[in-house]
This record gives sequence, structure tokens and C-alpha cells, in this order.
Amino acid sequence: MATQLLRPLGPLRLLRRSPGPAADVPLRAASHGTSLLYPEHIPTSPLQKALLAVGSAGMALYNPYRHDMVAVLGETTGHRALKVLRDQMKKDPEGAKILQERPRISLSTLDLGQLQSLPEGSLGREYLRFLDVNRVSPDTRAPTRFVDDEELAYVIQRYREVHDMLHTLLGMPTNMLGEIVVKWFEAVQTGLPMCILGALLGPVRLSAQNLQVLVSELIPWAVQNGRRAPCVLNLYYEQRWEQPLTSLREELGITDPPYPPLMS
Amino acid sequence: MRRTVRLLSPVNMAAPRSFALWGYCDRGWSRLMPGCRLPGFRSCWPGCPLGARLLSQEKRATETHFGFETVSEEEKGGKVYQVFESVAKKYDVMNDMMSLGIHRIWKDLLLWKMRPFPGTQLLDVAGGTGDIAFRFLNYVQAQYRGKQKRQLRAQQNLSWEEIAQKYQNEEDSLGGSHVMICDINKEMLKIGKQKASAQGYKAGLAWVLGDAEELPFDEDKFDVYTIAFGIRNVTHIDRALQEAHRVLKPGGRFLCLEFSQVNNPLVSRLYDLYSFQVIPVLGEVIAGDWKSYQYLVESIRQFPPQEEFKEMIEDAGFQKVTYESLTSGIVAIHSGFKL
Repeated sequence: MATQLLRPLGPLRLLRRSPGPAADVPLRAASHGTSLLYPEHIPTSPLQKALLAVGSAGMALYNPYRHDMVAVLGETTGHRALKVLRDQMKKDPEGAKILQERPRISLSTLDLGQLQSLPEGSLGREYLRFLDVNRVSPDTRAPTRFVDDEELAYVIQRYREVHDMLHTLLGMPTNMLGEIVVKWFEAVQTGLPMCILGALLGPVRLSAQNLQVLVSELIPWAVQNGRRAPCVLNLYYEQRWEQPLTSLREELGITDPPYPPLMS
Repeated sequence: MRRTVRLLSPVNMAAPRSFALWGYCDRGWSRLMPGCRLPGFRSCWPGCPLGARLLSQEKRATETHFGFETVSEEEKGGKVYQVFESVAKKYDVMNDMMSLGIHRIWKDLLLWKMRPFPGTQLLDVAGGTGDIAFRFLNYVQAQYRGKQKRQLRAQQNLSWEEIAQKYQNEEDSLGGSHVMICDINKEMLKIGKQKASAQGYKAGLAWVLGDAEELPFDEDKFDVYTIAFGIRNVTHIDRALQEAHRVLKPGGRFLCLEFSQVNNPLVSRLYDLYSFQVIPVLGEVIAGDWKSYQYLVESIRQFPPQEEFKEMIEDAGFQKVTYESLTSGIVAIHSGFKL
């Protein structure tokens, strides 16, 4: 019956060869259909992850504006560190709540009006000020793609979205120097290879004067605070908007920065 | 009142006389016009007892492949358009990276196979960024200059007046050759035009936005029709081939450079490994686009092998169809004539 209907439609040669996935091409990654763990997921083989890690590291060094490459580097190299982070989060009550409820920080989930109305010095108000002054938006974070575990994919997404919070907590702007300081803090806190690499290789592009300030004052301060503070991913920031920033800093043991880098 | 449609022959075996589709609506039996697309009847199907089975059959008929995904034919054109829109800016860089520069040799070989003479009218379909067109212009120009030199050498003993006349007639260094670059994608054409002005190609080329399945040209217009790495992205390859046959002059030549099937098992394994493991990574790192390059390597696997494609070209009416595999069959150049 099927052929009767198909015949007047012409010899559809292309349909004779069924689109066969893994059977005839043994080394392809199954990137369609049901094997996806989350919407943006791209399953990758170990070889692909290795190539991606090397390629993204090189490209990120070559062109520091390729933030997507930094993100890819984080995803492909961070498996072990993400597991440690996830376990840490599970042990902490607030962290476990975050893992369960999966809050996301984006312009669609933030109530900017409400944040604007908060008193000066509160976390929400300072966060908003940070976004305005540095002209950044929480929506520029690329979605996770190369992590092959759904929960770990959320952990790294949360880490990315919390990055701006860390800028606010540490009082660091988004220029090169500020980013490196935050990276040092994150490297100590999370142990992600991408943070460690960024922290070690980022200073290569700094001027001598900035480098001197960085090494002598900012890095020791960032490392000290990173060690002292509990895991920053365990904070449910969305429920702490009203908390004054100073009290939050006290809670985490974060001291004032020794030398606030000038905003560029 | 719900309209029900029942389809008779060709489903109804009792009336095999005509393959015309008859539809029964409230008003009685009426012959469905040939241009009627079956999907349009979906709203009427629920009442039809044969509906479910016919629906699934006809659904399969209007589906095609997009890489290893299955999509409807209407969708495929749009999705391919999006792929090329996003890769256009880095297209040439990625070609060099992915093929390690070998694609230049393949395109040169296509031109050497074509051996155009000055005065050739070329239609380069899916020629967006102009690689084939520029090579054509270079080739024809070199030919013309060579011819000029030979003429001058042969006519050394001519009078001065005749030589001066020859010089005055020489305005067209291309000798009347012309290339029409046709592409369905505006972004690719834009990049091609930028390249042309950057590299100084002003005369002898024209840029046209058009669909390979429905070319905006009259019949019997071109001497040569080329399509390089474009035909596998066309939704209906047979229609593109028929259009190629239509617009070529009698005696005209069809040339297609396309990825094909590798004939050596070892090379095939290495090629697969490289295609699926390395190329999407290159796409992500260099162009920030994994999915487009995943589509590109999958679409290569979906394209028919050399013999089958040769038969398709013959079906479109071309004669003396031959093919030449290059680099162990990674690409093949198919050639046919409209006689």
C-alpha cells in the first residue's frame, strides 16, 4: 500500500537510504533526539572533550573576548571539581535547597523593580548597581552544553550565574584586573581547572604596574578570603536580596579589598 | 459539519486506471488538482477511516533528512538557510582549517577539468563566496593573455596600422566570458561581493539571489553550469538537476564538485574519525558554532555515492556522464553534457 502511494511521487532516492545514525558511522556522537540530558546538551566523546579543552584554552588566550571559549574550557575540564562542588552543596542545607529548587539568575527571573526599591547597601541594590556601572547583564552567560550529567550541568550554570555576585561581594569591577582577582578567589573556592588556568595565565596580559599590584596585594587577599569563606555556591542569593552587603561579607569572612582597582 | 475526505485511487486497487487522486467532500466526489499537496487535507482526516494509515504514509513521503535528523521538506530549506547564514562570515577560514587547504586544490582541479575558453558563459550555483567564479575569471584571463601573446608573436610582420587596430579593440580582457553567481543565501552572497571588491574583480561577474530548484533564468542560456559543495544541501536534488539541464545550452556542460564516498576502508575510518570528532570541535573553537558543522559532516554522509549520483544526473537528461574521485573519494567531480 505504501509503494502505491509513493510511486506517483517520483523516485525518492534520498529516502531509500534511511538516515542511519550510529550503525554505519561508529565514531560519531549521538547528538540528536532522546540521548540529550538537558535541552542544550551536546554529547561528546572523550577525544572531543580533550580537543575542545585544548582548542578553547588556546583560543581564549589568543582572543580574551571569546568568553564562550572560557565557558567551554570550564565545562570540558571541570568534571571532577564539579562533583566535589555538588557533594559540598548537598551537605549544606542551603546548598541542598538550591540543588533541589534550581533557581536561575537571569533578567526574566529577576524582579528589577523590587531590587531597585531595596535600601542602599543591601545585596540586591549593590548587585544592580554593579550591573549598571559595568554595563553587564546576567543574560550573557552561555548555556551549558558539554557536561554529561544533568545535575553537574546545573552546578556549573549556577557557578556562572553566581560569578557576578562574587564581583559584588568582592567589590571588583569587570576589567581585566578585577576578573583575575575574582578568578583567584574562585580557583581557591571551587578548584575548577578553568579557574586555576585563568588565574595563572590571565596575568600574562597585564601591564607591569598592574601585575605588581596584583601579585603583592590582591592575590594574597583573594586567596586568604577564598580559603576562609564557606562555599559561595551554597548561598541562596535570591533569598538574601535584603541582607546588607556588609553583613553578608562578615558572614563569609570577606574583608575589604586592599587596593580597589580603578574602574576602566 | 465535519468535512470528511476519502481518497480513492491510487489507494483503491479496484480502480487502477488513473493515478489521479479523487477526494470526497460533502459535495461529492471531485478530482483533486495535481498541485494539491496532501498535507493540506490533514484537517479533514479525522473522519476518514483510512486516515491514520494514509496520513503516516504521506507524512513519510514529505519528510527528508537534515544531517542525521529527520525533518519535513518545508523545514529543511529554512534550516539549511540558517546554517549558512551563521557560517557565512567564517566560511572560508573554516574551509581552510577543515580541509587543511586541500579544498583549494579541489576547486582548481574543477577549473582544469572545465577548461573554459574566453567567451564562456558560466553559471555557478550555490557559489556564494565566489571561489569558483574567481578561479574561472583568473583562468579565462590567463587564457586570453596567452592567446594575445601568441597572436602578437605570430603577427610580428604585420603593418603598424593593423597592430594599432588590434590594440584598440582590446577592451575586454576576459574575451566575452561571464560568470553568473547564484546562491539562495543572502549572507553568502554578501561575503562573496565583499571578497570580489577586496580582490579587485569588477568585470565579468554578476550576483543573483536564486534557488537551485527553480532558477531565475531562461532555458538554453549557459555554456557551463557548476555547483561546488552545494548540491547536497538542496532539498530536491532531482529538481536542481532538471533545472541545470534546462538552463544549459545544447552542448553545454554540467559539472558538480561534491563530497562523496571514500573507496578505501582505512582512509574511510580516518576520515570518519576526523569528520565527527575534529570538525565540530573546530567549528566550536573557531566559529563558535558546533551544530552547523555537525550538520555539514552529517549531510556529507547522507549524499548518494558516486554511481548513484551519476544515475541521478542521467535521469535528468544529461549524457556522457562521468565522474572522477579525488583524494580517495572524499570528493568527486561529476560531469555531464546536454546534447
